[in-house]
Amino acid sequence: MSQSQTQVFDAVIVGAGISGAMIAWQLGLKGKRVLIMEAGDPLPPNVNDYMQRFYLATAKVPEIPYTPALMDSTGLVDPGTMNAPRPTVLTLGDNWKDPKQAYLDQVGKLPFASTYERVSGGTMRHWLGTSLRFVPHDFTMKTTYGRLVDWPIGYNELERWYGDAEHAIGVSANKADQAYHGIAFPPDYNYPMPQIPLSLVDQAVAAKVDGMELDGEALTVTSTPAGRNSQPYDNRRVCAGNTNCIPICPIQAKYDPSVTLNKALDTGNVVIWGNTVASNVAVDGTGQVRQIDYIQYATAGGPATARGCVTAKVFILAAHAIETPKLLLMSKNEGRTPNGVANSSDLVGRNLMDHPIYLAWAQMPQPVFGYRGPLSTAGIETLRDGIFRKDRAAFRIEIGNEGWNFPIGDPYTTVMDLINGGNVSRLNPGGKALSGQALTSAMNAALSRQFRLGFLVEQSPEPGNRVTLSDRVDHLGLPRPRVTYDISDYTKQGFVAAKRAADAIFAKLGAKQFTAVAPGPAQFTFEGETFGYFGAGHIVGTYRMGGNKTDSVVDANQRSWDHPNLYLVGSGTFPTVATGNPTLTIAALALRTADAILASGL
Amino acid sequence: MAASPMDQFVTLSSALTGIASGILAPGIDPIDIKQTYFDTAQQADPTVFGQLLTIVANNSTLPPQQLADLVLQQSGDDVRFLARAIMLAWYLGNWYDPGDLKLYAGPNPPPTPIAFRVITMNAYTKGFAWSVAQAHPMGFSTNIFGYWSAAPPSLTDYIGSGA
Repeated sequence: MSQSQTQVFDAVIVGAGISGAMIAWQLGLKGKRVLIMEAGDPLPPNVNDYMQRFYLATAKVPEIPYTPALMDSTGLVDPGTMNAPRPTVLTLGDNWKDPKQAYLDQVGKLPFASTYERVSGGTMRHWLGTSLRFVPHDFTMKTTYGRLVDWPIGYNELERWYGDAEHAIGVSANKADQAYHGIAFPPDYNYPMPQIPLSLVDQAVAAKVDGMELDGEALTVTSTPAGRNSQPYDNRRVCAGNTNCIPICPIQAKYDPSVTLNKALDTGNVVIWGNTVASNVAVDGTGQVRQIDYIQYATAGGPATARGCVTAKVFILAAHAIETPKLLLMSKNEGRTPNGVANSSDLVGRNLMDHPIYLAWAQMPQPVFGYRGPLSTAGIETLRDGIFRKDRAAFRIEIGNEGWNFPIGDPYTTVMDLINGGNVSRLNPGGKALSGQALTSAMNAALSRQFRLGFLVEQSPEPGNRVTLSDRVDHLGLPRPRVTYDISDYTKQGFVAAKRAADAIFAKLGAKQFTAVAPGPAQFTFEGETFGYFGAGHIVGTYRMGGNKTDSVVDANQRSWDHPNLYLVGSGTFPTVATGNPTLTIAALALRTADAILASGL
Repeated sequence: MAASPMDQFVTLSSALTGIASGILAPGIDPIDIKQTYFDTAQQADPTVFGQLLTIVANNSTLPPQQLADLVLQQSGDDVRFLARAIMLAWYLGNWYDPGDLKLYAGPNPPPTPIAFRVITMNAYTKGFAWSVAQAHPMGFSTNIFGYWSAAPPSLTDYIGSGA
């Protein structure tokens, strides 16, 4: 007997990430009975297994601690043999089109470089913690600059929920630092905790860079609002600076959605079914969603163990911006929704975006002692807005505290060079193999002066950048996502400006630059310059919100225009990727949608 | 009394890495990572490992850098690359096959990254590369909130002196 026949739910949520957790918690508090279906594993009792996998992994990439395990003794596990496979940055090299290694069926000109998780807690298991609000002009790009599109809501309408989200996550920040480009707070508002202290790297950058100008905007280093504890908060301890926010905070000083999932469970009204893959959204003749069909399994690569369906009054798809459109497109309803559910606009799957990152790295003239503190504690936010947005993409600059770990995998690369006589790092130009005190001196000089800047470029929405269904399947026989991706000239102009900014900042710091383009497909040539790019893990746009049913998939409450009891939540509803990391806005919108669902009389 | 094989191994490791013996093998040493590396290196190539310890035993009065130079530059490729594998174990907690190290140190290194394994979880968290950076292994901090906003202790505090 399937579980659905024994339980009755007010709401069914697909996906146990931040959006699903926030909405389940809010509905559960109000006595609504909620089921969360999670395709991946259920909540573990602690992070010990994740930490063990991380410590022993040869590739300490964002996805590596989580399940199902990406690697076995022979290498990457074939995603076609897994019931809930997901992408990994390990398939962004020459193997990016290899169906035995890469889960996504990438058919575009360029690889989509961001990944996501299918596990309880979702992709935020390995978020950095950055909790920036968007700036007001992020919501009004068309009106203000004649570019991109407007959102159907603005900063002022979202402001209240930004505050709620900051308290639900537990954000450490300095309000005065965050009041730029029109970001405003109610006079009596305070962040839950004081800011995270600036690192020595931040302090060194600020000492020289504050007051510089670029394209009419002053550069100012400010502390970054962070979903990590600067004081004990929410029964979690303070950050100990493990320098490992991505892939995993070992002490959960950094928020992750398991915190809110546990609060949802504590209401007594929420249940989570792990290893339960939603396979169809069933719509009746009146346009109401009636049920969600699912397939269950017991082990990562084992057979299906149950199939069933579950009914409710309200359905919320919270499976992030690639699996949600995939599920919608899969759901044809015997021809009643031939283009998929919620897709009368033909916009489901389109306008896939990211913050492609221009990564620049250098050595300071003096030690700045990276590899200490949270991965990032400050950035330069003043370039997020300006009249230049008429002509090119804006960006924020993230200052990294992890040396050259992100750019070249240090300290491993440099240590290997110094001991085995190589020069992959370009910090050992003579290629000499060292030992003894000569080794420790050279290693200390090399590692202690490293730092990097990440430029998160606002990618323009393009209908051709899209998620569709592949004819490749996973182990349950469900289609895998097909992704078509490219980067527009508007966005590439942002990279040109980012390079200009990096060059100017490094020159001002007297830092020796080592930025280089790594081999592989994630690169493009524009105006005579070749740029490499990285994914930011910010997957956005594939079921955008808007003002009417022809220009969007959902309304400002993230409610489907086509199906009144269906909500599509998460960053897939963002009309633009904007200039801040998306999580805080995802959470704010989820809380706002929870209020809308409750107000609708559920 | 003649030095034990473990004493020889620590003496050798200190000379090669530049990290003080008392840091590599502290008096109170519950994790005993030296034993892990001793066993790993011995299992990788018992014969060459024996040669390494013999070199140490026969040159017990040599200053550390001269001992390192003798091992790394005057004792042949087999000894040199097993010694480098031991150095990399201490620094990174990883085991690299000495044969691979030789291949990658040559004039035509393979284009693919060199293979390795993380020896144990403790090996990762005891990696001395992080100490030489005056930091801590990523994901294993024993420091307190805010430490990152002030300068770290001196390099000597991390790796000792007089290796």
